Amino acid sequence: MSAPRIVITGLGAVTGFGFEWQTMWAQMLLGEHCIRPWQPEGVADGTFPVRYAAPVDTRQLPDYLQGHPAWQTPLEKRSQLGWVAASQAISDSGLSPAQLRDAAVLCASGAPAHKIQDMLLTVADEPNASPAWRYLMAKADQVSAAHSLCQSNDRLARVIADDIGCEGPVINISSACAGASQAIGNAFQMIRRGEVDVAIAGGADSVLSLDTMTALYLLGAASSEQRWGTGLCRPFDRHRSGLVAGEGAGFVVLETLERALARGAVPYAEVLGFGSSLDGYKVTAPDPQGRGAALAMQTALHDAGIRPQQVDLINAHGTSTPLNDAAETLAIKSVFAQGEHYRRLAISANKSQFGHLIAAAGAPEFIITALACQQDRITPTLNLHSAADDCDLDYCAHQTVNRRVDVALSNSFGFGGLNTCLVLGKYQEHAQ
Amino acid sequence: MSGVPTSIAIAGSGCVLASGWGVDAFWSAACESRSGIKPLRSLLFHSERVTAFGQIHYDDHQRSRQDLAQNLQRYCTPAVIWGVSAVRQALAEAQLTPGADALTYGLYCCQGGYTHPSLASYGELLHECRQGEGADMQHLARRILHERAQDPFLVLKGLSNILLGVVSLALKLECECNAYMQGVSGNLAALREACAALQSGRIDVAIIVGAGSELDALALSALVQAGTISADGSDTLRAFDAQGTGGIAGEGAAALVLRRREDLGDGPQVCLQTMTADVAIEHLNLPDQQADVLVCSGTGTPDQDRQLSLTLARTGAAHITSGVPLTGLLSAAPSLADLILARCALLAQRVPPIAGLSQPVAAQLPFVMGAPCSTRLDDGLVLNRDDNGFSACYQLKYSEQANNA
Repeated sequence: MSAPRIVITGLGAVTGFGFEWQTMWAQMLLGEHCIRPWQPEGVADGTFPVRYAAPVDTRQLPDYLQGHPAWQTPLEKRSQLGWVAASQAISDSGLSPAQLRDAAVLCASGAPAHKIQDMLLTVADEPNASPAWRYLMAKADQVSAAHSLCQSNDRLARVIADDIGCEGPVINISSACAGASQAIGNAFQMIRRGEVDVAIAGGADSVLSLDTMTALYLLGAASSEQRWGTGLCRPFDRHRSGLVAGEGAGFVVLETLERALARGAVPYAEVLGFGSSLDGYKVTAPDPQGRGAALAMQTALHDAGIRPQQVDLINAHGTSTPLNDAAETLAIKSVFAQGEHYRRLAISANKSQFGHLIAAAGAPEFIITALACQQDRITPTLNLHSAADDCDLDYCAHQTVNRRVDVALSNSFGFGGLNTCLVLGKYQEHAQ
Repeated sequence: MSGVPTSIAIAGSGCVLASGWGVDAFWSAACESRSGIKPLRSLLFHSERVTAFGQIHYDDHQRSRQDLAQNLQRYCTPAVIWGVSAVRQALAEAQLTPGADALTYGLYCCQGGYTHPSLASYGELLHECRQGEGADMQHLARRILHERAQDPFLVLKGLSNILLGVVSLALKLECECNAYMQGVSGNLAALREACAALQSGRIDVAIIVGAGSELDALALSALVQAGTISADGSDTLRAFDAQGTGGIAGEGAAALVLRRREDLGDGPQVCLQTMTADVAIEHLNLPDQQADVLVCSGTGTPDQDRQLSLTLARTGAAHITSGVPLTGLLSAAPSLADLILARCALLAQRVPPIAGLSQPVAAQLPFVMGAPCSTRLDDGLVLNRDDNGFSACYQLKYSEQANNA
C-alpha cells in the first residue's frame, strides 16, 4: 500500500506583525518588517547592548485569550502565544473537536525565559549561601504560577491537547531553533506511518528577557550592532552581524489528503518529505562547509522522492549571522550542484522580516513556504544591499517575487549542530 | 497498539544511576535490594523536609567523565556527562563504533527539564547585585556582560538540546536525530521514532539516551507541590507498599542501542515487540498475551500505587518488580531504566525483588519480595505512568535464536 499524501489544512501564526497569519502574510508581501528598538524589562534604556528585536505587542493578547480555557490557566507568555496560534490553526482548518479527538499534538518550546525578579525571590535573597528549604518554599509561593519557573517545558503541548479534548499522542520537542520544524516533520512522519490521521504541530517561544538575551549575546549569536537601526537583520549581506530575536508562535494542521477531501477542506499545500541531521562539528558553531545542512536537505529530498532539479524555492534558515549564512549557501550549492541548479533557485530569508523566533522559528517560516507554493509569491529578503562574497545566490532581495513554486524547501538549523529540512509542494490533484 | 513488524532487538544498554555506574551495578543492586537513595546533599540549598535523593555517587560521576573529552565537559551539566557515558556503555556492549563501520545511525535524546547550574549561578550573581528591595539591573547586566558571570559556559549548559549536541560531538555523529523534553512520554516518543526509523530501513542503529537531574530547589519544590515526592523527611521509597510515604526524586542517565533482529547473529536477544500509549494509564491497550515479568516504577504513595495496581492486575503478569526504589524517580530516563531492568531479567531468567517491599498494596498481585526469583521468562512488559503526556506500555520478548525472534 502506498503512503498517504499529507496536506496542510490549517494555519496559525503570532509574530511581531500581529495575531493572525493573514496579517503576517500581507505585511511580508508588502516588504514590511516588525523589528523595533527594544531593551529588556527592568533594564535602563541604552544599557543593554542588544538594542533591537521583533516583540509581539501583547496589549492585544487578552482579546485573543478571553473566554477561552487558556485565559483561566496560569501560562507563561510563550505558551499563551502558542495557544493563540494553535487555536487559530485549528479554527482555520475547520476541524471540529470530535474530528480532533485522536489527533497528535507536537510542540516545540525553547528553554524557559526566567524573569529575573522571580529568580531573585526564590534563590538569591538568602544572605548565607545554601538557603533553607522552608525559606525557599515560602519564596516559591510568591512566584506567579504562570511563570516559567513553575511550569514544565511540555506545558503548552498539554494545554493544547486538553483544550481540544485530544486523546492522541502529545509530544514536546526540544531541539533549539530547529524545534518547530522537527515537530512538523515528526507529525508528517506519524501520519505517513498511519499512527494518526491528523496532527497539530508547531512551536512557540519568547526569548525577549534579560537572561535569555544575555545568553544569546554571550554566545555571540545576537547582534549588538547599532548603525543599521531596524534594518539590522541582514541575511546574506556583507554587513550582517548576528541574529535579531523575535517572539511568537506558529502551528499548522496536517492531515491525510483523503481525509481533507472527504470533509471538503481545501489544502494550502502538500508536505512531501522531511529530513534531519547532525553537524557533529561544534556546539557553538555550524560546520563552515555546511555538511550537516546539506545532509538534512538531501535526506528530505530523498524522503520526498524529489530530484534537486525540481526545487524552485528554498525558505532559508538565514539568521543574519556570519557563520550560518555562508555555510547555508555552501550547503545549497553542494546539494543543487548538478547543472548549477542553485543558480535557478529562489532563496528567501523570513527572519529579515519578523526576526528569529528561536524554537518557534520553523513554524511561521513553514507557513510562509506553504503560502508561496499556494500563491506563487515569494516574500523578500530585506536589507540585502551588498551581498557577501560567499553569499552569491538569488536571495530575492527587497521585494516580493512572483514566480511559480511547485516544490519548496524550508530549512531550520538549531544551535548545537542540529539541522532539519521540510519539503513542500503545490497542492495538485495528482501527486508530483 | 503500534506493532513492531520487524523485530527490533536491544543490542546494548548503559546507565549511570544512583545504584551505580553501569548495567551490572544496576542489576546487582536490584538482585541485592541495595538502594542508591541516600541523604540529600547539595551545596546550593539544604532541607529538613526533603532529605533523601537518588544521587549519583561522586566516584561514578568521575568515572563517567572519563568517557568525555575535557574540552567538551565544560559545556556539560553532570547529567549530560552521564548521558554520554551511558551511550558509550551501550555501544560497547553492542560492539559498535560510529564512524568506523558502514552503518547508518539515528540519535534520539530525552533531556530533563531542569538545568541547575543556570539557576544557581544566576542566583548567586543576583544576590551580589541586590540593593535594598530591588536588584540593580545595570550592575547585573554589567557583571554578566563584561565579566561573563561565574561560568562562561553557563549558557550552553542551559540549552534544552545540549545532551543531543554533546553526544553527537562526542561520537562524531551526523545522522538523523531528535530531542525531547517530556519525561516518560519523551522516552516513548524517542523509542517510537527509533523503531520506525529502523523498520523503514533509513537507519541501521538507533541510539536512545535520556539524562536529567532534579537536584534543584525549585524542581524539588514543584515535585512536592505536585504530590510526586514527599516532604516529610522520609529516606526510603517503598514502591507498592502500604507503608509507603511518597516518592523520592533521583537523577541519572540510561541509554539503549537498538538494531533490527535480522541484522544480528544468533544468540540470546531481547526484542521490543509492541509499544502502546494513552493519556491515562488505566486506558492503556495492553497485550493479550500474559507476561512472565512486569516492570513498573510505582510511586511510593500507597493510594496511587493501589490505583496503579488495578492496571497491573489487567496484565496478568506472573511476576512484578520495580527498579524505582533503587534509583528514585528519574526525570528523563524512566522508561529506559525500566527497559534495562526488564532486559536484564529476561537475559538472566531471574526476577529481582522490589527493594523494601514488605506489605504490598494489593496482596493478590505477584510482587516479587525478599529474594530474586529464578524462573522461565519469555515475555516481559514495562508499564510507565506519565501525568503530563501519555502513559506507556512496552512489550519485550526473549529469544535464544534469530529465527525465533
